[in-house]
Amino acid sequence: MGIGARITAIFVLGALLLSFSMGGLSYFTTRHFLLAERESAAQNQAFANALVVQSSLQSGNTHPASLLAELDIGSDSNSILIHKSKAYPSSLAISESSIPHQLRDEVFNGIVAIQTFVSGHQGQPQIVVGVPIRSVHAAYFEVFSLSDLGHTLRVLGITLVGTGVVTTLVGAVLGRFASRRLLRPLSVVSRAAVAIAGGQLDTRLAADAADPDLEGLTTSFNAMVDQIQSRIEREARFNSDVSHELRSPLTTLAASLEVLETDRDDLPPRAQRALQLLGDDLRRFQRMVGDLLEMSRADAGSMDVFLEEVNVGELVQRSVEAGLQTLGEGAARPTIVIAPDAQSLHVGVAKRRFERVMANLLENAANYGGGATLITVAGADGSGTDGNGDGGRDGDGDYRSVEIAVEDAGPGISPVERTKVFERFYRGSASGRRGTGTGTGLGLALVAEHVRLMHGRAWVESSSAGGARFVVSLPVFEEDEESPW
Amino acid sequence: MSGRILVVEDDERIRSSMRLALESEGYDVDDVASGEDALEIFADSPFDVALIDIMLPGMDGFECCRALRRQSAVPIIIVTARADTHDVVAGLEAGADDYVTKPFVAKELAARIRALLRRARPTEEEPGALSFGTLQLLPEQGVLRQADGTEVHCTRTEFRLLCELAASPNKVLSREQLLDRVWGYDYFGDGRLVDVHIRRLRTKVEADPALPQHILTVRGMGYKLVP
Repeated sequence: MGIGARITAIFVLGALLLSFSMGGLSYFTTRHFLLAERESAAQNQAFANALVVQSSLQSGNTHPASLLAELDIGSDSNSILIHKSKAYPSSLAISESSIPHQLRDEVFNGIVAIQTFVSGHQGQPQIVVGVPIRSVHAAYFEVFSLSDLGHTLRVLGITLVGTGVVTTLVGAVLGRFASRRLLRPLSVVSRAAVAIAGGQLDTRLAADAADPDLEGLTTSFNAMVDQIQSRIEREARFNSDVSHELRSPLTTLAASLEVLETDRDDLPPRAQRALQLLGDDLRRFQRMVGDLLEMSRADAGSMDVFLEEVNVGELVQRSVEAGLQTLGEGAARPTIVIAPDAQSLHVGVAKRRFERVMANLLENAANYGGGATLITVAGADGSGTDGNGDGGRDGDGDYRSVEIAVEDAGPGISPVERTKVFERFYRGSASGRRGTGTGTGLGLALVAEHVRLMHGRAWVESSSAGGARFVVSLPVFEEDEESPW
Repeated sequence: MSGRILVVEDDERIRSSMRLALESEGYDVDDVASGEDALEIFADSPFDVALIDIMLPGMDGFECCRALRRQSAVPIIIVTARADTHDVVAGLEAGADDYVTKPFVAKELAARIRALLRRARPTEEEPGALSFGTLQLLPEQGVLRQADGTEVHCTRTEFRLLCELAASPNKVLSREQLLDRVWGYDYFGDGRLVDVHIRRLRTKVEADPALPQHILTVRGMGYKLVP
């Protein structure tokens, strides 16, 4: 149960308990008081009547039956006189059996008795008063109906229950309000947290001077964000420092190596061979450092990418050309097929990044798939989430994205590995088939990263020939897309 | 090709290796460790190209760039750690003609220097004198002047960019074409070079650079000069 619901529940429970205990208390107090009053009134009346009966019977000139009619009996009571074992009721509503046995026995034994039945004989609340009149061997009983009192108590009860229900409802409303009020600072904190998670690291909670209770929360939250911000900034600074520190010696090494390579022919053969090794591995090292820094910068989110509007066909052809050049002489030449209606499409890319994407895909195909065989460029609908690569189109032939696919004739990639291959340093089942190993293990991870920075998506599927088909989907350049200048 | 190159770089080892590499490419190289020293040595003797690292102690590379630009139209190449930062645009806006990123290949750097030292291509048909607005462009004399004869100062790169556009007035030239003809870059050259230089050129030739009348942007295609 949520904290808001819990607060509301506590309010409801409190209101319920309070209203019903107060209601119960008033109900029983009132009932006790009213009953006591009625009992004493009933007793007085019964005594008075018993006195009249006694004096009449002593004088002996009145028949017991007619005697009762003369008595001052209210409309809510009936009497019965037992004289010489004969019962004389005042009305048909009463008989000897109306009197409880126990009470009758007590009276016959000469004790004045009074008994109250809240739900007594015939379901009616009543008071029975019995008075022994020993001098004439008689007993006088009077039964008072308490139906009016019962009615009063019922009305009172209903009123109290109603009040209780209303109070509980008010409690619920109050609880809801209080929980909202209480949770409002939490939603402020939540909004701030969302903003911070979204990269707005300078977000802080405003100190609410009016509420000292929240000051602790505000202070500790802001302190936490301060910590996080400084940590992130420290990390970014560290990355940039590392970048600078690594680049400086690499720059020196590369420049010095080139000086040596210019004079290569003057060196003895052994030194030439050493220079060759040095040069190859230095270039490899440079690439690795470049890739790693690229990765760490992408992680720090500190990449601002300049996207240029270019024709996709030309871009792909040029990039493949450049990529094949880096692969060297032996690389297989893939066929490039550009769909006729994709030839005029433009995409927003950073050309160097796209070149790296194609180079990495070609290198990957060369290392694990026996070289790229086919490269296709086709328009596609949407952002390429369908993943089947054939690409639909909307009404008037406007494509929303372009899919560039690189196919190889290798064994393909199993479905379970299809997302893993884009992970850093992933060396899956194909690792055994690696050649001399020029890769850094970052190639496909960088493909995904570069493509993401260009607002696209990369995935791998199976080609019709069973090989791997790496697809890069890029959004078609929109007129209203932000233009640098 | 020979020329005098000023290298401004605070890291002593990089400075020495750059000097060695550029010397083996046939250039005369002077190197200094700070922007202040660069301005001092530049005042004494002219250079053909200045190579300035952005991260310098004291006066930073941008400031050094601006200071040099105030006194000379010398081609400037800035050296940055990263290509995808605002450093590049900021450096170009401070007056640099081109940039290289660390770690660079000395041969590539030499190629950049060669491109900057080169005059407008003799093979391309040199545009004749062209007037647009109140301005007169005289490519042979390397002069851009107002109608009243006062010269409009621009850097060599800006002037060459203007000449390329003027060689085919009203015709759109793509960024790639301009990168190739002015900077000697292949297809993968950085389009920001063209964009920043066009912007700088507009502040010099347009009455209102925000509403250009002569150097126009053609969306998705490139730029053209309208006399």
